[in-house]
Amino acid sequence: MATSQAPTRQAITLKGSTNLVTEFFKYAANTILFQRGVYPSDDFHMVKKYGQTVLVTQDLALENYLDRILKQVNKWLLTGSVTQLVLAIISKDSRLPLERWVFDVNLVDQPADSAEPQPAKPESEIQAEIRYILKQIVSTVTFLPIIDTPTVFNILAYTHDSADVPADEWVDTDPLAIEASKSQQVKLRSFSTDVHRIEAMVAYRYEG
Amino acid sequence: MTSIPKTPSRYRSRSDAKTPLTPSVISAFNGISLSPKKRSHPADLSNPFIAKSRPVSPVKRATGGGITVSDSFQRQASGGVIRKGGIETRLDVVTRDYVPPTSQPRPELKRSRSTPATRERTQSTSDSRDRFITTRDSDDVAATLELMSLNPKSTSPGHTARLAAATGVPLNRRVLSYHEAPPASSSDSTLSQQRELARPLYGRPGELPSSTNSVTNKSRRIPTQPERVLDAPGMVDDFYLNIVSWSVQNVVAVALAESTYVWRADTGNVSHLGEAPEGTYVSSVDFSNDGSYLGVGLGTGEVELWDLEAGQKLRTMGGHQGQIAVLSWNAHILSSGCGDGSIWHHDVRVPRHKIMELLGHTGEVCGLKWRADGELLASGGNDNVVNIWDGRVGDVMEGARGQAKWTKRNHTAAVKAIAWCPWQSSLLASGGGTNDATVHVWNSGTGARLHSLKTPSQVSSIIWSPHKKEILTTHGYPTNAIMVHAYPSLERIAEIRDAHDSRVLYTAVGPAGDVVCTGAGDENLKFWRIWEGASVKKKKEGKERSSSTTRSGILSIR
Repeated sequence: MATSQAPTRQAITLKGSTNLVTEFFKYAANTILFQRGVYPSDDFHMVKKYGQTVLVTQDLALENYLDRILKQVNKWLLTGSVTQLVLAIISKDSRLPLERWVFDVNLVDQPADSAEPQPAKPESEIQAEIRYILKQIVSTVTFLPIIDTPTVFNILAYTHDSADVPADEWVDTDPLAIEASKSQQVKLRSFSTDVHRIEAMVAYRYEG
Repeated sequence: MTSIPKTPSRYRSRSDAKTPLTPSVISAFNGISLSPKKRSHPADLSNPFIAKSRPVSPVKRATGGGITVSDSFQRQASGGVIRKGGIETRLDVVTRDYVPPTSQPRPELKRSRSTPATRERTQSTSDSRDRFITTRDSDDVAATLELMSLNPKSTSPGHTARLAAATGVPLNRRVLSYHEAPPASSSDSTLSQQRELARPLYGRPGELPSSTNSVTNKSRRIPTQPERVLDAPGMVDDFYLNIVSWSVQNVVAVALAESTYVWRADTGNVSHLGEAPEGTYVSSVDFSNDGSYLGVGLGTGEVELWDLEAGQKLRTMGGHQGQIAVLSWNAHILSSGCGDGSIWHHDVRVPRHKIMELLGHTGEVCGLKWRADGELLASGGNDNVVNIWDGRVGDVMEGARGQAKWTKRNHTAAVKAIAWCPWQSSLLASGGGTNDATVHVWNSGTGARLHSLKTPSQVSSIIWSPHKKEILTTHGYPTNAIMVHAYPSLERIAEIRDAHDSRVLYTAVGPAGDVVCTGAGDENLKFWRIWEGASVKKKKEGKERSSSTTRSGILSIR
């Protein structure tokens, strides 16, 4: 949908934008895993990113797992096939979905062919927006219900049917949704590059 | 009738996106081949009004109002085919012929495949669409988009998916997940073992966050507020001094800078016992075993002996070269630990009071405790060493300098906290300073280290409970806490964080074994009821009396 107003610029930005988005997913996923206690907190160490310290896992297995997933997500982003990424936190024993962190991927509508290409969004601004989201994710701890049971996470990708899916690596699954009557949703901040717009939302299980 | 090529979207929408037919749809552009599928639809295709009568999922209806998605998206949705990329977009263009009015954002489910191009289908929003373009897609999209805003009544994607699956309506998207499950946290056995032992503070069992920032076991309630607070102006914040002592006669002696005060717990009276000579300060106090005499150590190295009844100084025993940071009595022997690392035994009855000298420390001696039976003396110093000395004094040892029976160098910081176990006399507990923050329990007979307990902050004192099998530790940086641990499991029973505003440095336990008195640089002397005294059950009416007196402000510390 990103029609090429300024093709050369657009092409570069698309790749750069997808890399940015993929990186954001990586750090957001790590932050969520740490904050919600899915993995022991000593597994995480701090790195500087986006102008603040974020926690990233040191567990190699987990890191590789996330990298593999995100590599595929990156490919999908380039082709525009993925619309939503969900990090679902489910109880280990009962497989009950406790939380869903939903990141929508929208393509930014380029306003119809203006003569001038839109001024590029400065990286610092994008970084600032990402910072806000990450800080907000951390702050959600204040209202999210405390999780006592051991949990695992699953990353789900909502893609178009036409998406090129490596069949041996990705399978169709149940969306791990929380029943509507028991779910509370809170919309979080969003950030956008010139090409992509990522919106975040968290839905959690809340027994009235 | 269904073969109008202009609206291939219809077919597409009909065909189950999830079915393998989908690719062929793209290729078989005319879409005719797909009709069998749609034919099977139960709805009577010829009757347009059946569409209306089909009950719309109430949930879907609910989602109608709050769609925050852009209108263009919605239009696409009503166009029946929502594919944002790929070949289908071209079809979107085609369906734009039927762009529905955007005024009614809520298209309902038109499952019916009724073909007739009746435009005036009142029920359907996109009546101009005229096709049974299933707005299912839009609903689906709308439904999930609904989740973007706070709308508790919206459907979950799961509901949508189930609905979609049930009705055979295609979803425009697939939900994929990676074929592997995420790895469990690395099962390094030592690491997980470490985690078990050194779990983050908030994860410890029995740790319930409370507003007073203290923690108790569910079964054990320890008051997190002190029973009594006394003002102690001038109390110094010096880790190495020991300026609080509680006698068996229920009298608390406190040294504030150069003055010594005595507070009688039974009556609540405070009296000024004495002053240190000009230019020096009191660095330690200790009551004799029977509580009639008070030893006072000064910064100049002198040890004074005071009579409590008379309130008079009996003698001054000089000779030390550094401040006397700690004193300990054993019957008629008063042992003093000096800043130069030496420990002297003073026989207070004889003129030549210095009867023995123990040289075992290269740093200031800050912890000194006689065992109750007088057999052994334990000392801890700023050199991180714990020494256990034979208690026999006099010429039995070779010369006036004895060798320590045991020397323990396990601590990595100054050892001020030393305590003998009242119920098992061979046990000695020692606690280290900031760098160390560990409590070690030793068997003084064999010299073995029995237990070690890592605490979050420097240990300033240890008290064994006289009547229960528990250990109380007081701490300085950074938690300023009082912690109670079970023995021998060393499991934490209770913690009172920030018991004082600064490091909890001076501690004494009452003669009844129930109240612990703590002093800190914040110039407060706080009394905490940690345990129940052994005689509490017998003295129920005494308790009532005492509680009434406490209310009236006179204390009765039981």
